[in-house]
Amino acid sequence: MVIVCPSCDLAHRAGTAPAVERTRCARCRALLQRPENGRIDTAIALAFSALVLFVLSNAYPLVVIVSNGSTRATTLVGAALGLYRQDHVGLASLVFITTVVGPFLQIVSLLYLLIPLRYQREARGQNTIFRLLAQVRPWTFIEVFMLGALVALVRLGGYARVVPGVALWSCGFMMLTLAALTSRTSAGQFWRWVEASRI
Amino acid sequence: MSSPQTGRSLGLLLCLQCRATVRALQVSHPRCPRCHAHLFQRKPHSLALTAALLLCAAILYVPANLLPVMYTRTIFDEEQDTIMSGVLTLLHSGSWPIAVLVFVASIVVPMLKIIALCVVLFSAWRRSPRYRTQRSELFRMVEFIGRWSMLDVYAISLLVTLVQIRSLAFVSVGWGALAFGAVVVLTLFAARTFDERLLWDSPP
Repeated sequence: MVIVCPSCDLAHRAGTAPAVERTRCARCRALLQRPENGRIDTAIALAFSALVLFVLSNAYPLVVIVSNGSTRATTLVGAALGLYRQDHVGLASLVFITTVVGPFLQIVSLLYLLIPLRYQREARGQNTIFRLLAQVRPWTFIEVFMLGALVALVRLGGYARVVPGVALWSCGFMMLTLAALTSRTSAGQFWRWVEASRI
Repeated sequence: MSSPQTGRSLGLLLCLQCRATVRALQVSHPRCPRCHAHLFQRKPHSLALTAALLLCAAILYVPANLLPVMYTRTIFDEEQDTIMSGVLTLLHSGSWPIAVLVFVASIVVPMLKIIALCVVLFSAWRRSPRYRTQRSELFRMVEFIGRWSMLDVYAISLLVTLVQIRSLAFVSVGWGALAFGAVVVLTLFAARTFDERLLWDSPP
């Protein structure tokens, strides 16, 4: 079998068995293979937990500020809505896509693809959904959003009492769950599951 | 000296979506047999697209840093904040780790990203054979750190949403924030349209 490096196009000869350790390109040091023989059940479980955490992050307040007896709170969606209300549609959609649409599409499309695969079936439109997933993946910025929330909390700390909400925790856990999910469902791994189900 | 065997010299195409290796066929628009994505030897018009996106990002980097990103109105006064003055405010309020974080993410990272993309773009265009490994690693670093410059946009979006107690304080977004968001998105697209393999293609 020949493996072509995606970063420099160098051809490598390799065995057909899945890699047992990380291999790097001999010329440009890019990552060629990762050991992936994860179970599809683990990925489905992680995707379900991410979905629950996503719902929690949008149902409960992220932060509550208390100042002079009045309180204000916001959810994950709220950050994008606040920008929208000030007529900054461009910025609002950027925040909405990277913090709400990105994670949601990633979780839902993975569930849509993986659940039928677990029962040796293939989801309708599998190829289209897979390509959609590959396009959406780089646009999930939850970890950056979490750090941004921290910066906002520090800035507000001088003016008002800031109470972290339930969603701050669920958002943090969603970030970790999504990271674990992404590393377990690389394109190579996904197509290995597909090919295993076709046998 | 024999040149190393590459996908191109062996007539193999790599699907960038699903990483399948496919034997190149003489058809006009080949598609991956596994995931049906479009296949190409090198990303089409890679250098021109990257250059155009990078130029736009470099131009917008100026208003992103000069225009106010945020207005704060209280009953006593009205303040404008650019990215840099926001960093200074954080520094004076004593939270210097956060100030350093915002400075690196919002000012250093976008600038380094634009410079680094210019370097790899220029060497891919010149087909320069020197420091290829370092340039390749520089490009991969750019891809990895790029998203972190969104930090301040998120912080502003939360401040805007939370501080709306009209009688006491009111925070609104400035156009600098939009320019800043545009820089981040444009550089992300510039990195995506750039084909790393062009750095390694030997001169004809």
